[in-house]
Amino acid sequence: MIAADPTTKLKAEDVDVFYGSFQAIKHANLAMTEKTVTALIGPSGCGKSTFVRALNRMHDLTPGARVEGLITLDGMNIYAPEADPVVIRHRIGMVFQRANPFPKTIFENVVYGPKIHGETNKKRLDEIAEKSLRRAALWDEVKDRLNRSALDLSGGQQQRLCIARVLAVEPEVILMDEPASALDPIATSKIEDLIGELKREYTVVIVTHSMQQAARISEFTAFFHLGEIVEFGTTSDIFTRPKEKRTEDYITGRFG
Amino acid sequence: MGISVQPPVSKSTLLGSPGVRARRATDRVATVVLWGMAISIIVMLACFVLYLLYLGAQYMTPDFIFGVPKEGEAGGGIGPEIFNSFYILVLTLVMTVPIAVSAGVYIQEYARPGRFRGFVQFSAEALATVPSIVMGLFGLLIFVYFFHLRFSAIVGAMTLTILNLPALMRVTQEALRTVPDSLREASMSVGATKWQTITKAVLPSAIGPMTTGIVLIAGRIFGETAALIYTAGLSVSANSPYDFSLTHTAETLAVHLWYTRSESTVPDVARIGNGSALVLLFMVLLFNIAARVLGRTLTKRLTGKSS
Repeated sequence: MIAADPTTKLKAEDVDVFYGSFQAIKHANLAMTEKTVTALIGPSGCGKSTFVRALNRMHDLTPGARVEGLITLDGMNIYAPEADPVVIRHRIGMVFQRANPFPKTIFENVVYGPKIHGETNKKRLDEIAEKSLRRAALWDEVKDRLNRSALDLSGGQQQRLCIARVLAVEPEVILMDEPASALDPIATSKIEDLIGELKREYTVVIVTHSMQQAARISEFTAFFHLGEIVEFGTTSDIFTRPKEKRTEDYITGRFG
Repeated sequence: MGISVQPPVSKSTLLGSPGVRARRATDRVATVVLWGMAISIIVMLACFVLYLLYLGAQYMTPDFIFGVPKEGEAGGGIGPEIFNSFYILVLTLVMTVPIAVSAGVYIQEYARPGRFRGFVQFSAEALATVPSIVMGLFGLLIFVYFFHLRFSAIVGAMTLTILNLPALMRVTQEALRTVPDSLREASMSVGATKWQTITKAVLPSAIGPMTTGIVLIAGRIFGETAALIYTAGLSVSANSPYDFSLTHTAETLAVHLWYTRSESTVPDVARIGNGSALVLLFMVLLFNIAARVLGRTLTKRLTGKSS
């Protein structure tokens, strides 16, 4: 077992991801620090979404997808045969590119996870719903209509609802796959403020195609290109003193 | 006419050329023809319903609808036949729904693309193409000759179960296919198991099309004739007109209609035939309307969509 840095929450070592015979991720190494935001940037198709989905075993659901290498949460291999993907996804939650609320009420969306994990006490569920919606900065907008359909919310509200749904199961890590890419600038800035709040308690890994967004919200940035992590460092280093030519070309807008 | 997004054909004129006018004429003719075809469907249904009303409405008396059939004399009713139709329908659904929904869920949610899944799909499609009269003879051979069961409600229901399994399995698959993968991912990403994802997120989201499909198939079961002639029998139970016994003969309304028109010796064949046809049509139409209404309200209720 590899001794993990005490502040490293999630670590990928020599990770390869294949779709059939196509190798989408090549020898990726990345250490994600506890209670910080790590941004994954890179041009479309560079593998950043593929990589982030490997971090909570979402590829298990994709026929033909295969992950090799070592990914550890608190030093424990999440792909070990005895590791339970259900427990892993409980501890490592995920927010997707398109808001995907269930066609249920707002309340039912938030308490979906806690109910799945056996919480039946109505009072307790009410508390969880309020706490999670407050943390997702949505409470004030929906507190009077918790029994209305989640599908009646705006796109930005739906995405914050999805974040609340993940927070309700108290994960340790939150993976976000371009959570604001389908939102307007105002909704985007709300999500960004929220991420700034979340990192006090959670380890956040966010895929983004917006370099400005990565610069605004993250402590660390990894630059992906053609399935490889070209460069990883503090966000200020990546954006002001990139070591690799390809990183520099990308952040200065010469490709991508 | 809206504003055309196409640039003008020629920069010097906004008038159409003969070629453009010809294409627009074709367009207009096509629109009218397609509209006419669509209207003809409504007209055919309307003619059919009106003609049956004209033939049968006069016989719609309580005596006819609730009365018992008679042998060899006029004045028989169709009460027990209506009862048997519903009874066999319920028996069939009780057997069909669990099997077909489970199989559909397995194929759509669990089975990976491969030989086994392909084989199940192929078998279901082959089964779906079997004509109902052949299925009826199959029921006769297996249940009646081989297992020595009598013509009865249960044998009819088992035969109809086999007949309708593939369609309901297909309905389940299609309904599950309407649920986007993003919902499955959402459920999995908060730590749900596959079973929880299916029962708590996927099936509730598919409830509308599932209900619609089941009720439409119920309509088909209600009107099924050929598969029941040699399985449920051509007479109602001798014990009691409204007989819940599984093992007594149970002639349904559709079978009664066929039997009266082709074999019966009663003098009022036209009355019973036309009256039965009207009741049958009315019931099946009711199932179709119910399918739409139920599907819509259930979707609304269970998905909480308020608009």
